[in-house]
Amino acid sequence: MSHSTTTPTVAEDALTADAARRRYDDVRALIADVHNPTPLVRLNRVTPGTPAFLKLEWFNPFGSIKDRTARYLLDGMRARGELTGRELVEATSGNTGIALAALAALEGRALTVTIPSGVPAEKLVLLRMLGAQVLPTPDDLCPVDHPRDGAIALARAIADSPAHRGRYAMPNQYANPDNVRAHYETTGPEIWEQTEGRVRAFVAGFGTCGTITGVGRFLKERDATIRIVAVEPQPGHRLPGMKSFAEASPPAILDRSVIDEVIRVDDDPAYAMTRRLYREEGLIVGPSTGAIVEAIARLDTRESGPVVGISPDGGQKYASFFAAHFPEDAEATP
Amino acid sequence: VSSPSPTPDLELDCTGLLCPLPVYRTRQAMRRLAPGGVLRVACTDPGSLADVPAFAREQGYTLLGVTERSGVFAFDLRK
Repeated sequence: MSHSTTTPTVAEDALTADAARRRYDDVRALIADVHNPTPLVRLNRVTPGTPAFLKLEWFNPFGSIKDRTARYLLDGMRARGELTGRELVEATSGNTGIALAALAALEGRALTVTIPSGVPAEKLVLLRMLGAQVLPTPDDLCPVDHPRDGAIALARAIADSPAHRGRYAMPNQYANPDNVRAHYETTGPEIWEQTEGRVRAFVAGFGTCGTITGVGRFLKERDATIRIVAVEPQPGHRLPGMKSFAEASPPAILDRSVIDEVIRVDDDPAYAMTRRLYREEGLIVGPSTGAIVEAIARLDTRESGPVVGISPDGGQKYASFFAAHFPEDAEATP
Repeated sequence: VSSPSPTPDLELDCTGLLCPLPVYRTRQAMRRLAPGGVLRVACTDPGSLADVPAFAREQGYTLLGVTERSGVFAFDLRK
C-alpha cells in the first residue's frame, strides 16, 4: 500500500510495528480492513425479535466509516498520478472531510472542503483544527434543481475553473468508483467473515452510496438472497451524511440493482432511537446510526440469521445537534 | 448590456472562474460593502449572465448595469 509521500525522521528505538501488540508506526495502519476489522456488536434491547449487530465504524482512527473511503480515494488518485503537485478540494458533510484532512495533513497536502448547510459546528472546528480550508455553502447558492447540491457544484467549480488550472484535484466521492471499491474490498468482506457467512440482511443509509453499493454488491455476489436495505431520511433532515433524493440528486455511484428495499426514517424516530442506543445499549453513536437501527427495528423479518447495520460514526461530534433536538438533556446546571 | 456605472467602491475579479464561484465570491464581497456601496464583478463564465442577476434579485441588491468587453462581463451591483 502506498501511503506517505514524505519521509519523516524517526528516532531509532528498535520497536518495530507489531499489530499483535497493537503497536503501529503510523496512525494510517489503523484504518480498518479485513485484517483489522471494525467490531461487530450485538444489539440486545432495541430491536426485540430481530437478531441484529451494529458494525462500529467509529473504531476507525479518524472516527468514521469515511476513513476507508478517504484512503481508497487518495490511493487511487495517487496511483493514477492525479495527486502530484496538487491540492485537494472536496464536497463533504464532514466525515470524509475529516478523514481526507488527516490524510492530507500527513502528506503535507492542502485541502479545501465545501460544506452544505446543516453540518454541526463541531465538525467545522475539527476540519479547521486539521488545517483544512472550510467553505460553508449556502443552500441557495445555485438556482438549480437540487438546492442541497450547492457544495458539490462549488467544489466542482474550484477544481475545474480555468483560473485554477492544475492546482486542485477533486476526489469526488459521489462519482468515484474507489468509494464503492473501499466497501466492496473491506467492509463487505469483513461482514461476511465476522458473521461466518450467516448474515441475512444488511442495512445502511443513503449518502454518497459507497457503502450500500459496495457492501451490497459484495454480499449479493456471495448470496443473492441476502436482503440489502437502504435508509432514506426526510427532506430537510438533520442527519449529516445521509441524503434525501427528494432534494439531492442520486450519486453516480449508486447501483439500485443491489438494493431490495428502501425504508424512510424521519428525524424524530431517528433521534429517539439514537437516545435509546445511548441509554439501553451504551452505544455513543451519531444520529445516522439511530436512523439505521430504527429501520432494523421496523424490518418485517423472520430472518434465519443476523441483520447487520452500519454505525457510520460516534456521537461526540453531534453534541450541539442532540442539545437542539433534546433541549431537556441540555439544561445547564445552575 | 447597459450603460456603465459610477466608479465602484470595490472590484472583484472572477475571470476564469466557473459558476457558482462568481456568485459565491460576490456574496462574500458584498458583506464587506456598506449599504449604498457599489461592487463591480468581472466574469468570463457565460453562466454568470444568468446567475449574478438572479443572485442580486434574491438578495435585494440593484443591478446597475452589465458591460461586456472581449468576453469579460462586468456587473455593477449596488448594496
